[in-house]
Amino acid sequence: MHRSKNLKNALMAWTSLSPALIFIGLIILFPIGYTFYISLTNMNIFNWFDFRVVGLGNYRRALFVFDSGFLRALWITVIWTILNMVLQLVIAFVMASLLNVQKLKYARVYKTILMFPWAMPGYVSILLWRHGIFNAQFGLLNQWLYQLGMEPRRWLADDLTAFVVCMIVNLWLALPFMMMIMDGALKSLDKSYYESALIDGAGWFTRSVRLTIPAIRPIIAPAVIITLFTTFKQFDVIYLMTQQVGAQTGANIHTVLTYAYESAFVTRNYGYSSAVSIIIFAMLIAFSLLVTVLRKRGQSA
Amino acid sequence: MKLNHKFAQKIGLLLLNVFFIALCFIVLIPILYALSISFNAQGGLLGSDFRFIPRAFTLDHYRAVLVDQPLFLWFGNTLVLAFSAVGVALSVSVPGAYALSRFRFGGRQKVFSGLLLLHAFPAILSMFAIFRLLSPLGLINSRMGILIIYVGTMTVFGLLNLKGYFDSIPIEIEESAAMDGAGMWHTIKSILLPLARPALIVTGVMVMIFVWNEYIYAITFMTGASNYTLAVGLYTLQATEMTGSWPVFAAASILVSLPILFIFFATQKYMTTGLTAGGVKG
Repeated sequence: MHRSKNLKNALMAWTSLSPALIFIGLIILFPIGYTFYISLTNMNIFNWFDFRVVGLGNYRRALFVFDSGFLRALWITVIWTILNMVLQLVIAFVMASLLNVQKLKYARVYKTILMFPWAMPGYVSILLWRHGIFNAQFGLLNQWLYQLGMEPRRWLADDLTAFVVCMIVNLWLALPFMMMIMDGALKSLDKSYYESALIDGAGWFTRSVRLTIPAIRPIIAPAVIITLFTTFKQFDVIYLMTQQVGAQTGANIHTVLTYAYESAFVTRNYGYSSAVSIIIFAMLIAFSLLVTVLRKRGQSA
Repeated sequence: MKLNHKFAQKIGLLLLNVFFIALCFIVLIPILYALSISFNAQGGLLGSDFRFIPRAFTLDHYRAVLVDQPLFLWFGNTLVLAFSAVGVALSVSVPGAYALSRFRFGGRQKVFSGLLLLHAFPAILSMFAIFRLLSPLGLINSRMGILIIYVGTMTVFGLLNLKGYFDSIPIEIEESAAMDGAGMWHTIKSILLPLARPALIVTGVMVMIFVWNEYIYAITFMTGASNYTLAVGLYTLQATEMTGSWPVFAAASILVSLPILFIFFATQKYMTTGLTAGGVKG
């Protein structure tokens, strides 16, 4: 009797899940498996049909041949992630603290306006930055430089400048979310933690480090981890600003994702690109397992 | 002494307000600039001194977008795609999330952990594989093809987000209904779904925004101009990087962003309650 009820339960559960799982299987799971298969072959634009299995050669090329570019992209991605996270956390914390200064009457208005970068469609904003602000011929920045009597610059042409420009755009896009999380965390604390933040000056800094930050850390942790992942997985900013197919700006900067995309859709080396994809996915899995373990340990301690 | 302190506080507040007003302006510069250029009759080329409030207004650029470019076609395509994706994604996610939240069955934990892992998977990585799989099925440059992709991608989020929210609703409410003899589907429909309204709205809005903002799959898969979504249309507009087309692109950007801005600010109050559950963000 009990067993048949369990069975019925399981049957009901799987039936309810199956439509969702079919979509996921079809569009996510199976393509990942297929990507893994392609990664073991020499499939490319010339061997579209007559490709053959070549083993782990593509992986070897990605991981051990420095010239292949994957390691360079990984290195850039790591620096990108660290710099973005540090700047985001610091700036968002300071902004949220300032927004929570008592008697700041229009804090809500400011907050709403500062949400705009988050609300806008991301690709539209990035394209507006690219063409509106940083375009070499008619971008706003060069117009201003011109009026100041300075030479216009090609902002997206060399690696370092393009990297900094992309960071600015990414911060612009990502800060509102982080700020809102910090703001929510601060609001959940006792007011005495952060009040008169502005007036106390140095006192505010020590209090933040000793009291406020440890207090909000568990509250903001999930959002910070999510942002860490999205920053590492960044594609849109780098791609739309510098690497659009047919409209590359000359800067050779790649995150791992734009690199995987480029080796599939520009250089059309599908086997190699698939190997890169699998490596990235493996890193993401390892990364999330690590985070889970660390968080569990942190909670039990 | 006390007066002095009060005075310092006032100055501090004033400075803080000045700071925030300046910051808001700086943050909005890219948007304001596009807005201004889209109405500016003078173009806005290098050297002509630019002002945020144009000296001469024009609606030409908007007319160019609406008349010369098939914006309404793109808009229609996007709308159909977005609403279908929301409909399908919600109707497969609700029962699935219900099963994950309410039933205890073998493999439940495995499915859940699997979903968490897949949620970290960037869809771009398997784009080529999907392309190759869908192309013999005739699902490239097809609305059905891209719809399946969007639904598949967002169902992971839908399941996780809805399950997280269902978990927070006490099961006793449904049990009492079940005791009154109501069937499972009836219980879901009449009791659970009304209670889960914030999560349903947020999940739906996230799918909607995802479809509206997705461009990389769309430009790769939707090769025929008649199937262009707004994102593809806008992408092709900017790709012809000519000085003359920039004001038109600016106008198109503003038009494309308006619906999303509206949805975002209209549903913002649900975002905190409907999204915190499960700790997942789209």
